[in-house]
Amino acid sequence: MMKRVLLLLAILTPLQGILAGDDEASWSFLPISPTPPPSHASGCSPVDGFILQKLEEETLTPSPQADKRTLIRRAYVDLHGLPPTPEDVRDFLNDDDSLEPFARLTDRLLASPRLGERWARHWMDVVHFAETHGHDEDAIREHAWPYRDYLIQAFNSDLPYARFIEEQVAGDVLDPENPWATVATSFLACGPWDESSQMGIQDGTVDKEIARYLDRDDMLTTTMSTFTSTTVHCARCHDHKFDPVSIEDYYGLQAVFAGVDRVDRPYEADPEVGRRRQLLAEEKALLDQGQLPPGAIDHGETIQAVAEWARALLRGSRSWSVFPPHTVTTSSSATTTSILEDGSVLFGGEPPEKDTYHFTLRPGEQTVTAVLLEVLPHDSLPAGGPGLAENGNLHLCEIQIRVSGEKAVPIRSATADFDQAGWTIAHAIDGNPDSAWGIHPQQGKAHQAMFILEKPLRLAGNQSLTVVLEQNHGRRHLIGRARLALTAAETPRLGEVIDPAIKTICEKPPSARSETERKTLTLRYLNERNERARAALPEPLQVYAVSSKFEAIGNFKPALKPRPVFVLKRGNIHTPGSPAQPEALTQLDFKHAAFPGGSDPDEGARRAALAQWLSHPDNPLTWRSIVNRVWHYHFGRGIVSTPNDFGEMGARPTHPALLDWLATAFRDHEGSFKWLHRTIMTSATYQQSADESDAGLEHDPENRWLWRRSPRRLEAEAIRDAVLQFSGLLDLTMGGPSARQFHTSKGVHITPVVDYLNFDPDDRANFRRSVYRFVFRTVPDPLMQALDCPDASQLSPKRTTSATPLQALALLNNPFFIRQSQHLAERLQRRQTGSEDATPVIESLFHLIYNRPPSAEEASEVSAYAEAHGLANACRVLLNSNAFVYVR
Amino acid sequence: MTLAQHSRRQFLQSAGSGFGALALSQMLARDLSGAERHHAAKARRVIQLFMNGGASPMDTFDHKPQLEKLHGSRFDPGNGEKVESVTNSPGFKVLASPFAFQRHGQCGQWVSSVFPHMAKWVDELAFLTSMTSPTNVHGLGSYMMNTGFTLPGFPCMGAWISYALGKINANLPEFVVMPDPNGLPYNNLGNFTAGFLPAKHQGTVIQASSDQPLPFLFPPETARHITKDSEIAGAHLLDRLNRGDAARYPRDTQLEARIASYELATRMQLSAPEAFDLRGESEATKKLYGLDDSVTRDYGQRCLLGRRLIERGVRFVQIWSGAGGPTNNWDNHANIHTELPHMARQVDQPIAGLLRDLKGRGLLDDTLVIWTTEFGRMPFSQGQSGRDHNGGTFVSWLAGAGVRGGASHGQSDAWGWKAEIPTACHDLQATILHLLGIDHERLTVRHQGIDRRLTDVHGEVLWPILT
Repeated sequence: MMKRVLLLLAILTPLQGILAGDDEASWSFLPISPTPPPSHASGCSPVDGFILQKLEEETLTPSPQADKRTLIRRAYVDLHGLPPTPEDVRDFLNDDDSLEPFARLTDRLLASPRLGERWARHWMDVVHFAETHGHDEDAIREHAWPYRDYLIQAFNSDLPYARFIEEQVAGDVLDPENPWATVATSFLACGPWDESSQMGIQDGTVDKEIARYLDRDDMLTTTMSTFTSTTVHCARCHDHKFDPVSIEDYYGLQAVFAGVDRVDRPYEADPEVGRRRQLLAEEKALLDQGQLPPGAIDHGETIQAVAEWARALLRGSRSWSVFPPHTVTTSSSATTTSILEDGSVLFGGEPPEKDTYHFTLRPGEQTVTAVLLEVLPHDSLPAGGPGLAENGNLHLCEIQIRVSGEKAVPIRSATADFDQAGWTIAHAIDGNPDSAWGIHPQQGKAHQAMFILEKPLRLAGNQSLTVVLEQNHGRRHLIGRARLALTAAETPRLGEVIDPAIKTICEKPPSARSETERKTLTLRYLNERNERARAALPEPLQVYAVSSKFEAIGNFKPALKPRPVFVLKRGNIHTPGSPAQPEALTQLDFKHAAFPGGSDPDEGARRAALAQWLSHPDNPLTWRSIVNRVWHYHFGRGIVSTPNDFGEMGARPTHPALLDWLATAFRDHEGSFKWLHRTIMTSATYQQSADESDAGLEHDPENRWLWRRSPRRLEAEAIRDAVLQFSGLLDLTMGGPSARQFHTSKGVHITPVVDYLNFDPDDRANFRRSVYRFVFRTVPDPLMQALDCPDASQLSPKRTTSATPLQALALLNNPFFIRQSQHLAERLQRRQTGSEDATPVIESLFHLIYNRPPSAEEASEVSAYAEAHGLANACRVLLNSNAFVYVR
Repeated sequence: MTLAQHSRRQFLQSAGSGFGALALSQMLARDLSGAERHHAAKARRVIQLFMNGGASPMDTFDHKPQLEKLHGSRFDPGNGEKVESVTNSPGFKVLASPFAFQRHGQCGQWVSSVFPHMAKWVDELAFLTSMTSPTNVHGLGSYMMNTGFTLPGFPCMGAWISYALGKINANLPEFVVMPDPNGLPYNNLGNFTAGFLPAKHQGTVIQASSDQPLPFLFPPETARHITKDSEIAGAHLLDRLNRGDAARYPRDTQLEARIASYELATRMQLSAPEAFDLRGESEATKKLYGLDDSVTRDYGQRCLLGRRLIERGVRFVQIWSGAGGPTNNWDNHANIHTELPHMARQVDQPIAGLLRDLKGRGLLDDTLVIWTTEFGRMPFSQGQSGRDHNGGTFVSWLAGAGVRGGASHGQSDAWGWKAEIPTACHDLQATILHLLGIDHERLTVRHQGIDRRLTDVHGEVLWPILT
C-alpha cells in the first residue's frame, strides 16, 4: 500500500513542478474541437472508429461480441440496475440472430420507468443526496425526497441536459410556474448542513460566520464538481495551484449563493392553484386596506351575490344577537381594552399572568336562553391569537353569568366547536378553578363556546347582564379578543354570528342602503368569499431546497438579500479582503451573459446567471463532463478516469477526440441521455466480450484502451434489488416518501437512535427498490455500508469495490438476505408442486440468478446440497456467489 | 444469552473450524504486519480514549491559580480582544475550579482531585497542555480531532492508519470503535468513516455490552434452518461454485479476493468471539479495571476489551466516554462541580488500570495510548457554575511506545482561555502517524483534485514529547 503511495508521489512531484510553472490553460478549458470520427470498417458506429484507432496504435486486438445471454444481462444492469428475468432472456434468445435485436432491446429498456430509477441513483451519488442533515445534529429532512422523484422523472422523460442543469441551479427563478423546476433546486441543498452552527450558535460570532462560508462552500463545490468536473474548491485559500481558477473566482461563486439557505420551502404542485393563491392574496391585501376591487360595487353579479349573502346571513344568524359590552374590566390596570366595530373586545397592553374579565352588557328587555362566547383571532395577538399566550392559546377556568350584580345564574350545559385534548369546555362550568377550556393546537382561528342556562332568563329593560371570565391558569393563558352574543331560541345551536352594524344594514331593504353601507356590505362579503376560497385551496407542498425568505428558526434566519461575501485571504475568516463579485470561472473563455453586479440585491439573478453560464452550448467543461460521467457508468471507467477532476491533477482523457465528439454530438442532440445511451450501447465496443486475453492483460491490464469489456461487481443497491426480484417480492411502486428500513427512537439529543438490526426483514418497506431507501447520513445501513455504499457526506463520482471478511459476513448473515433466500426457495417450490425431481427447481434457480442453465456438475452439486440442507440454504449460497454479484 | 443460544452459538463457531480444511489463499499467506513504512516505527498499535463533549482543562490537568484570584469578577483579557461564547450570553464572570490541585510524580504534573488514579501515572504520560481547535462547535471539533478537517466526509485517523498499514491479524478487523453504550458521539458514525478511502477502512463498531458485539458475525437465532452441517457444506459448495467460475477467468484478481474474503470470514467467526470473551480474565485483572464497581464497570470493560483486541492484533482501538447531546458526557455547561466528577469517576480507574495492565504485559512498549477530547472549556462561567465551549486551549496526553513519560509541551495563558504556545490537532495527528512509522506529509490520496492528508496542509511532529 505504502509502496504504491510513494511511487505515485515519485512520479507526480516533478510533474507538478513543471505544470505549476506552465501558464497554459488545462486541456479541459480549451474549446471543444469536434473531430469527425475516424473512418473504419463500414457498419461500425462512430464510437468504434475512435476506439479502434487507439487499439491499433497500441497494437491491441478488440474482443469479439459477447454472447446474447451476457449481453442482455449487461444491458439490463446498466440501464435498469436489475438483471433480466428468465422470460426476458428467453424472448431475447428467440429473437432473430442479427444485431438488430440488441438495438430493439436497448430501445425497450430506454422506454421503461426502471431507467430513471437506475440513473437517478447514480446522480444521487454524484451530488451526495441523503435525507438527514449530517454533522452533529443529524436531523431528518421530511421533504427531501421530492428531489429524487424529480431526478427519476427527468431521466425517464429524457429532459434535455441544459434544462436539467438550469432547473437544479435556478429552476425557481427561471421557471417559477413549473413545480418540478422548484423541486429541482433541492440539488443545492442536498449535501450536509450544520444545524448546530446554523441554528444553535449566536449571530455575530465568528463560528456563525464560518458556518455560512462552509455552507456555501458545499453548494458551490457540489455545483462545480457535478457540472464542470472542476476542483474550484481548491481555490478557497489561494489561487488554484494547478488549474486556471483564482481565489476571486472561488469567492465569486460564494457570492452567487450568498442569498440562500437550505430550508423547507413551499411550492405549488399545480401552477393554476399557485396563480389563484397569488390573486387571492393580492385581493386580500386590498380588502384589508378597506378598498374594493375596481368596479366591484357596481358589478351586476356581485350586487346579486351580496344581496343573497345578506339574506342568508340574516336567516342564519337570526338566533344570535351581538351585544357590545357597556363596560369591560380586568383585574390588572396594565391591560388595555378596546371595543372594536364588530362588537368584540381586544385586550392588549401588558397583561398579567392571570386575569379575570368582567363584561357588562345592557341588552334592554330580553329573554335569554343561552350566552355565546366567541374568541377571535387578531393580528396584534401572539401567534395571531385568539389567546394571549405565546402560542395563541387561552385557558378559560370558569364562566359566571350574573344579573345586575346579583348571584350567578345556573348554567345547564356548555358546548364548544373545539376542545383542546383534556381541556374541554365542560371544565369552564365545573366549579373547579384548576381545570379549564383550551383550544390548542387550533390557534389562529375563531372558536365559539355556548352556555345554555338552566331556565330562560327574562331581563327587564333596566337590568344588566355581567359575564365573568376567570382565567387563572397562568403564563398568560388569557383571552385576547372576545365577543358575546345572546339568544332566546328554545334549542340554541352554535352558528354564524354577525356584528350588529352589518346586521342593521342587512335588515334594511337593499334600496334603502346608503352608498357607504353598500360598500361596507360588499367589503364584508368579498372578505368572506376570499377567506373561503383560500381555505378551499390545497396546502402548498414542501421541498427541502434553498430560499432567501423563510420564518426564522432559533438563530437560523433568512438572508432576505445576498449577504456580503469577502475574498478571505488564506481562507481565513479573520483576514477578509475585498468584497466578492458574483462570477464563475473568469478564465474560461467563451461568450456568455454577464453576471449581475455585487450591489444587485436580486439573489435569484445571480443563480440564474450561473445556471445559464453552466448550460451554455459553448461551455467546454459542461458537455465534456456529462458524457464522461455516462461513459463511466457504462464501462466502469471514464474516458477521463477522474470524473470530478478535469484539471491538471486529474487524469488525462484516454480518448480526447472521442470525448469531444461525444460532447458535441450529445449537445447537438439536445442533450438527450437516451440518444447517448443508445449511441454507446449499440457500438461494437460496448458489446465486446469480457473474456481474458493474454496479450490484452499483458499490455493493458487496466483495460484503458477497451480491448474487452471490464467485469464489474454489482453495487449494493443492485444486489439488493436483484435479490427482491428473484424472490418475487420486489415492490415496483414509484415515488413518494422514502422507505425507512429501520426503527427510530429518541436519541440523547437531536439525532434519533437508528436501529437497522431489529427491523423486521419482512416489513414491506424493505421490498421497495433501493433508490427509494431512506439514507441516513451519519448512521448508514450496515449492510449497504459493507457493500461499499459511499459516505453520503462526500461527493461520490465513482464507487469503490471491496472484498472483506466483514462484507462476506454481512452478505451471509444479515437477516434480510436470509429471509429473502427462504422466500426465493418457497417461490421455486410453489412453482414445482407435485414433482419429486429437484432438477427443474435448480435449473429455475440458475436461470433466475445467473440467467443461464447450470452445468451438469453444478446441477448435481446444488441438488445434492439442497436435498441435504434445504432449498433455502442452497439459495443463500448462490446469492453469495461471484457469478451473481459480477456482471460481464 | 440463554444456555440454548449459547450452545447454538458455540456449535456455529465450531462449524467455522470446519474450514481449516480449506486451502488458504495467497492473501492470507502474505506477511500482514510487514507493511512498508517511511521510517522505523516505535508503535505498532494505538488505543485512543476519547472524552466526548470537551473535557475541561482548568478542572483536570491545567492548573490556573489566577482564576481563584479573579473568581467572580468580570472576565477581561485586558488586550481589548472580543470575548465570544457560542452558546452563552455575555456577562462572563471568572469561574475558579472547584477542585483541589496537587503536583504528582517525579515530573510534578498538576492533577486535580477528579483523577486520583490517573494522577499516579503522570510519569508515564506526556501532556500537551495547550492544544487548540479552530472551532467551538462539537460536530466540527469532533471532525477536526478525528479527521483533520471540520467538514464531514473525510477519512478518520483510524481509517488512514488502516489504509497505510493494513492488518496485523487477518482474522480481526483492523480498526475497532467502542462507543459509549448511552449512544454514539457527535457526528455519529461520521467520526469513524473511511470518507473517500475504500469502505473497508472504516471503523468497525463493537457494542461491547451487547450479546452480538459484531453484527452479522453469525446468522440470526431465528434462522433455524441454518445448522452446523449446512454451514460447513454450504461453504464448500460456495467455494466450488466460485472456483468453477474463476476457472473461466483465471487472471481475475477480484474473483480471487472475494473467494479469500469468505475464507477469512469463517476464521473471524472463530477469532472474534474469543477476543470478546472476558470470562477468561482473572479476578485481579477485572478489579484493576474497576469491573467490580457499577460506576467504572462499563468503561473498564471496554478498556479491558481494548487490551484484548490490540493483544490479538487489532491495529487501532477507539474507546469513547460520553454520547452526543447536552448531558451525560464531558459537555459540562450547567455545573462543573457536579457534572465533571460524574464523568471523571467513570473513566479514571479504568484508564489507570489499562496503563498498568499494558505495562505489566510489556504491551506499552509498542502500543500508543492517547487521551483526547474535541476542545476545552471557558475560564468564565455559563449560568452559575458551568463552562461553555472553548477551542482556545485544552489538554491531551499520550503514553506508551516512543513517548517521553513525564514530558509536558505547550503553555496556555493565565486563565486557560487561549494557548500561548498552540499545539494543533494536526500536530497530534502528525505525531501519532510518525510513531507508527508514517510521514504524515507523504501519506496522501488524491481526491477531488487534491492530494488529501490526515493533516490537511498542516502538522508538525511534536519532537519534545518523544523519546
